[in-house]
Amino acid sequence: MAAPLLEIKDLVTVFHASEGRLPAVDGVSLSIERGRTLGLVGESGCGKSVTAMSTLRLVSSPGRIESGSITFTTEDESIDLVTASEKQLRKVRGGRIGMIFQEPMTSLNPVFTIGNQIAEVVQLHRKVSRSEARSRALEMLQLVRVADPQQRLDEYPHQLSGGMRQRVMIAIALACEPDLIIADEPTTALDVTIQAQILELLDDLRSRLGTAILLITHDLGVVAETCDDVAVMYAGRIVEQASAVELFSRPLHPYTIGLLRARPNVDARDRSPLATIPGMVPPPQDFPSGCRFHPRCSHAREPQCNLDPPALREVSPGHFVRCHFAEEINS
Amino acid sequence: MSEQHPVTDPALLQVKDLETHFPIKKGLLRRQVGSVKAVDGVTFDIPRGKTLGLVGESGCGKTTVGRSLLRLVEPTNGEVLFDDHSVRKENARGLRSLRRRMQIVFQDPYGSLNPRMKIRSILEEGLILHKMGEESARLEQMKQALERTGLSPAVLERYPHEFSGGQRQRIAIARALVLKPEFLVLDEPVSALDVSIQAQVINLLKELKQELGLTYLFISHDLSVVEYLADNVAVMYLGQIVESAEVGQLCQQPLHPYTLALFSAVPSVEVKNRRQRIVLTGDVPSPSRPPAGCRFHPRCPLAETVCREVEPPQVDLAGHRFHCHVASRELERCGGNAAKTSAEMQAAITAATSDSTEPYSAV
Repeated sequence: MAAPLLEIKDLVTVFHASEGRLPAVDGVSLSIERGRTLGLVGESGCGKSVTAMSTLRLVSSPGRIESGSITFTTEDESIDLVTASEKQLRKVRGGRIGMIFQEPMTSLNPVFTIGNQIAEVVQLHRKVSRSEARSRALEMLQLVRVADPQQRLDEYPHQLSGGMRQRVMIAIALACEPDLIIADEPTTALDVTIQAQILELLDDLRSRLGTAILLITHDLGVVAETCDDVAVMYAGRIVEQASAVELFSRPLHPYTIGLLRARPNVDARDRSPLATIPGMVPPPQDFPSGCRFHPRCSHAREPQCNLDPPALREVSPGHFVRCHFAEEINS
Repeated sequence: MSEQHPVTDPALLQVKDLETHFPIKKGLLRRQVGSVKAVDGVTFDIPRGKTLGLVGESGCGKTTVGRSLLRLVEPTNGEVLFDDHSVRKENARGLRSLRRRMQIVFQDPYGSLNPRMKIRSILEEGLILHKMGEESARLEQMKQALERTGLSPAVLERYPHEFSGGQRQRIAIARALVLKPEFLVLDEPVSALDVSIQAQVINLLKELKQELGLTYLFISHDLSVVEYLADNVAVMYLGQIVESAEVGQLCQQPLHPYTLALFSAVPSVEVKNRRQRIVLTGDVPSPSRPPAGCRFHPRCPLAETVCREVEPPQVDLAGHRFHCHVASRELERCGGNAAKTSAEMQAAITAATSDSTEPYSAV
């Protein structure tokens, strides 16, 4: 079997702050195959965005990748992004791996035109003339279905709506035909009808261009509708990983189950109180010992859960869970 | 829906033809060159003890409706009756006494609490303003309000930055409750919170409503939350209500194409029934230049000539109200059967959107 497109192994990213060493990402392993969509889900502060930033080595001081490897394999080479030189990284960033951020307003430069910003990426990564880069920019705007693309080329970000800006971000990310797109909460700032447009667009581009997608989101619904595989993160670690169909039909980790139950379901006519997860996500300086979820878990029992950190185990083929009692709880 | 008794039991809040326009000023002399019609003719009632869910996308005017009710923004036209008092006609003193009874909880728990004030001062401010009790009585009321929202009295001596988003939202709710209001405007109260915290706050709001008999206007873009909490739902688009009904009726038999699209756009966690999603094209137009005819027609897959020219009148089917030419014609054809009409509308939209898949340009 060929090596996966991206393989993250035991990634540890820490922030050195006045509180001490804060492991925002603490031993995360993930792999993404070509043309697949992996959803990385979790609540704010669980480390999902830091994982994404680490992948492109965009974590800035006081953050630092402490250990682990991130192997990115394309047709001709395989590089470890953790140890790669800045020169190698520049080729990967925006070239082989595209990135879409949450805030389409702040991630576009307000003083350059849309056309300029798309063309910039193309010129950085390809030996093309300015006019060729510009026509590529036009093509990209057509691809992401921006209305009046010719006119938009010379417009500035503030002239576009939120959904349009996100399309432009996608156009930039796709301009160099990357093998992988990292999308960090790409639809969180958008309305549902616009979110539906963007998700459909991403899925369509993936199936036609064969681009793999790492989709980072807090919205389980978005994951269920778009992803092939899902990893659930909690307090810097992956607590459950499986195919989307498996995870949503047979969630095993108490945290995943809690998240699914906490969501009012639009199809159900059930008005009983929502199931809640007591307490809140701990910050890195207060990560509990043992299983990090145990203070909020109704199934936790001593001494295993509060002392012994559970390993990520494969409980059925392709279904991994980090819980001592996963089988018992779900039987 | 025959349980309405408009004569014997007037609704706590009655809103009629509410309009709130914001002037657009240009040039050196700041001449008014137009106006943003954020709210443009909105009518609804909220009976005592009920929750109206107001849903719509950003920019549709739902927040402005909430603020106009309390006159936090001045409405341009229309009538707001709270317990038979005209909110718009009250003078400053009358308005203040009404505002004790109508409170608001804002979306952003980080922006709505003054970072320089202790929780005690934040909660006490309203009590002092409304001259509610001596210091010891005020303290008692504050403690009660905190307890109701699941916080300990110890928080009184702390500052907002010491709390998480969910706790801040509880404080904001306590600030509203301490005045013993009858009516709360909840403007996206859970949108800024994580899923597990969201569920805690939703449960809290529900308990409070039952225990204190509160009446809510619940503003949200999240349909699943609205469906869970509301008794009645109104869907807004570009400053107007396009459809409103009892919650079950609206969610199961939506008739307006916009409502149908909105519901189908909500991602569901049921992987197995990935529904046929209706994906609307285009963005919400600017409320300063709303389209002629039906305001939804530029994005509507079923739009016809009449939709571009004539503003659709309201159709009222036993409390299920909507504004749509196509739906009202379908309803007539289906002999007034809402369930059948809803299914027909859904099928028609699905057919229309799958036919018109835009050709892609080659990469």
